Amino acid sequence: MIQLENLTKCYQQVTAVDNVSLRVNRGEIYGFLGPNGAGKTTTIKMLAGVLRPTSGRISIDGLDLRQHAVEVKRRVGFIPDRPFLYEKLTGLEFMTFIANIYGINGEHLDRRVQRLLELFELAEWGNELVGSFSHGMKQRLIMSSALLHGPRVFIVDEPMVGLDPKGARLIKRIFRELRRSEMTVFMSTHTLGIAEELCDRIGIIQKGKLVAEGTVAELKQAAGQEDPHLESVFLHLTGADAVSPEPLDFI
Amino acid sequence: MNVLTLLAPRWWALKNGFLFGGRRTLIKTTSLLAMAIGFWVGIYVIFYRVLSYFQAVQEFGDILAYKLLSMVFLTFFGLLIFSNVLVALSTFFLSQDLSTIHATPVSLGELFAARFVETLLESSWMVLLFGIPIFTAYGLTYRGSGLYYLSLLSVMIPYLVLAGSIGVTLTMLLVQIFPAQRTRDILFLLFILLGILLYFLFRFMRPERLVDPDAFTDVVIYFRALSAPSSAYLPSTWATESVWPFLRPSSTPGGFYQGFLWMTAGASVVVSAFVTFLVYPQSWSKSQEARRIVIGRLINRTPLAAVLGPRRGSQFTALMGKDFKTFFRDNSQWSQLLLIFALIVVYLYNYSVLPLERARMPTFYLQNLIAFLNMGLAGFVLASIGVRFIFPAVSAEGFSFWIMQTSPITLGRLLWSKFFFYLAPLLLLGQILAIASNELLQVAPLMRWLTPITIFWMVFGITALGIGMGAVFPNFKAENVAQVATGFGGLLYMILAMSFIVLIVVLEAGPVYTLFMAQVQQRSLSFVQWLYIGGCFFLGVVVNLAVVWLPMRYGIRKLADYEG
Repeated sequence: MIQLENLTKCYQQVTAVDNVSLRVNRGEIYGFLGPNGAGKTTTIKMLAGVLRPTSGRISIDGLDLRQHAVEVKRRVGFIPDRPFLYEKLTGLEFMTFIANIYGINGEHLDRRVQRLLELFELAEWGNELVGSFSHGMKQRLIMSSALLHGPRVFIVDEPMVGLDPKGARLIKRIFRELRRSEMTVFMSTHTLGIAEELCDRIGIIQKGKLVAEGTVAELKQAAGQEDPHLESVFLHLTGADAVSPEPLDFI
Repeated sequence: MNVLTLLAPRWWALKNGFLFGGRRTLIKTTSLLAMAIGFWVGIYVIFYRVLSYFQAVQEFGDILAYKLLSMVFLTFFGLLIFSNVLVALSTFFLSQDLSTIHATPVSLGELFAARFVETLLESSWMVLLFGIPIFTAYGLTYRGSGLYYLSLLSVMIPYLVLAGSIGVTLTMLLVQIFPAQRTRDILFLLFILLGILLYFLFRFMRPERLVDPDAFTDVVIYFRALSAPSSAYLPSTWATESVWPFLRPSSTPGGFYQGFLWMTAGASVVVSAFVTFLVYPQSWSKSQEARRIVIGRLINRTPLAAVLGPRRGSQFTALMGKDFKTFFRDNSQWSQLLLIFALIVVYLYNYSVLPLERARMPTFYLQNLIAFLNMGLAGFVLASIGVRFIFPAVSAEGFSFWIMQTSPITLGRLLWSKFFFYLAPLLLLGQILAIASNELLQVAPLMRWLTPITIFWMVFGITALGIGMGAVFPNFKAENVAQVATGFGGLLYMILAMSFIVLIVVLEAGPVYTLFMAQVQQRSLSFVQWLYIGGCFFLGVVVNLAVVWLPMRYGIRKLADYEG
C-alpha cells in the first residue's frame, strides 16, 4: 500500500533522511518512531507531498507519488503535528471547503459532515471562526476533515499532540476501525504506549536511517531486552541507553 | 538587572537574524538599506529645496519655516502615539513570550520597564530615522550651529518618551474596554480613516494655487492666519520653541520649553507606570480569555446565506470563496479598500482641476498627451494596488499552505484561481480610471477607445505578474500579510510591473502619434505606416501574453520547490 524505496532527503549539507526503504501493507497500522531530529517529520512530509525527496521513490496504493501526485493525494488523509488552519473560516465552512477541494458531492455529504463534527464534538462550534478554536479543537477539526473524503491511506504526524484523554481514546478507536476497514495508517509518534497498543509493525529511524523494523515482539527480540516495555527497546535500539546517566542531585 | 535580561532576547533575535540569515537576509537588508537611503536623500532634497525657497521669501519665509517645523513635530507626535499604542498592544498583551515571562519571578515593575523600553525603541526608530534628513535640512539651510543639533537631541529624547508614555497609558485603558486583538483592528481602521480624511483635506485645499499669482490675495490672508501662535499646551509647540531659537533669533528662551518637555516626559512615565500597576494584571488576564466569534450563525439568518454560507462547488469556486471570506473577515485587509477609494477619488479629482486652458500648447494636443500619460499613471496606480493585494495573495495562505500542498489540487489551479479572483476587481477599477479620466479630459475618440482597451489588457499582465512573483517569493511565515509587500519580492514586482507598463506605453506611443498626425493633417496613411502601427500593436500583444504566461509558469515551478 505504501512503499518507500531508497528515500533520501538532503538539506544543503545535512542528510535528514538517508536511503530509507520500507513497505506498509493494506490494513496495517505502521508506527514510525525515532528520537527528536531523527527524520520522522521529514519522511512524513515527503509521504504527504509537502516536501520533494532528493532521491528515491514513494508509491502509495500502487501509484508513484511524483508522477500521479493529485491522484495519490485524493487517496490520502494527512494530519500534521501542528494544526494550522484557515482562521477566518468557520468550522463548517472549512469542512465544505475540503469537500469541494476533494470533489466530494452527493446527497449524503451534509449528513457526513455533521456526523464527523458530532463525532469530534465540534458540532456546536460549526458556525464559529476556526481562529477562536483551542489547539485541541483545531486538531480534531483537521482529523474530521481528513476523514471526510474516505481516504485509503492515513498519514499522521503525532496524532495525540494537544488531545485530552477523551480525544486520545477516540483516535485509538478510529484507528482500530480504520484497520478493520482495510485502511492503512502510517503514523509517527513519541508516545510509545500508543505505538505498542496500536501498531502492527514499527519502524525506528535514527539519524535519517531506518535502524530497526518489525512487530513489537520482533523488535524486543532483536534488542535482546529483558524489560518487556517498548521504551527500553526503543532506547536500546536508538543507543540512548548507552549514555551513562548523569547524577541528578544538582537539580 | 532583570530589565536587561528581559530585553536581551530581542537583541539576540536581531543579531541571530544577521548571523544565520545567510545570503538572502544579506540581499534583503542591503536592498532595504538602499531603499531607505534613497528615501532619506529624497526627503532631505525636498525639505532643503522647500526651506531654501522659504528663506528667499521676504517677511513670510521664516514664519513658513517655523510652521512647517511645528507641523513636522505635531505629525511625528501623532504618529508616535499611534505607533506606540500598536506596539504596546503587542509587547504588553499579544506577544507569545508573555505566558512564559508571567510564569517567572519577574516583578511588574521590571516587566513594565523592559516592555516600555522595547515599545519605545520599536515605535520610535522609524520616525527618528526619517526625522534626521528633515532636521539636517533645517540645520544646513539656516546654518544652525552645533548647539542646534545638541538641542535637537535634548528635545527628541523627552519627546519620544512622552509619546511612548501616552501610548502605553492609552493601551492600558483601551484594553480595559476592548479585547486586545479588537483594539488593534479598531485603531488600524481609525488610522486609515484619519489618513484618508487628511489626504482629502490636503488635496481639496488645492495647494497648487500657492504658485498661482491670481490667488495671491487668498495666500496673504492664509499667511496672516499662519502667524498666529500655536497652542501652548501642545508638546509639538514646546519642541519647536526649544529648537527654533538655535536657527533664528527668537524672543522665547528655548531652555524654558526644554525644561518643560523633560519634566512632562518624566511625569508621564510615572503616570504610565501607575496606570500599568493599577490595571495591567486585570487587563492581561482579560486579554487571554477566548473569543467566540460566531460568523455563520449571523449570516445564516440573512438573505446572504445563499451567497456567503458554505456552498458546494468546484475546486475553483471553493478556492475563490475561501479567499473572498478570508479577505473580508480580515479587518487589516478590507479596510485598505478605503484607501484605494480615496486614491481613485483624488486621482480623478486631479484631472478635473487641471488648468489645461492656461497652457501654451494647443488644448487638443495637451488633452491627448495627458490622456496618453494617463495610461502609464493608471498602470502605476494598478501596480501599486497589485503590490499591496495581489503580490501577497500566495503568502496569504500562511501556515495553512500545507492544506494546499497535501490536497488533490495542482499548484497551477491554485495560482490561476487567485489570478481570476484578483483580475475581476482590478479590471473594473482599471476601466473606471480609464473611462472617467478620459471623460474629464474630453479626449479625442481614438484615445477614448485606446485607453480602456490598453488598460484592460495591461491588467492581465499586472495581475499575473503579482501572482507569479508572489509565488516566487512566498512568505508563509509573515505575521501580517501587509508586511509581505514591503520585502525584496515586492520591490522587484514593482520594478517589473512598471517596466511592463512603460514598455506597453512606449510601444503605443509611435503608432498613436502617427495616427494623430494623419488625423490632424487630414491625410491617409501609407502601407509602411500601417505596417508599423500593426507591428507595434502586435508586439504589445506578444509582450502582454508573455507577462501573463511566464511569471505564472515560473511561479508554479518555484512554488512546487518550496520547502519552508
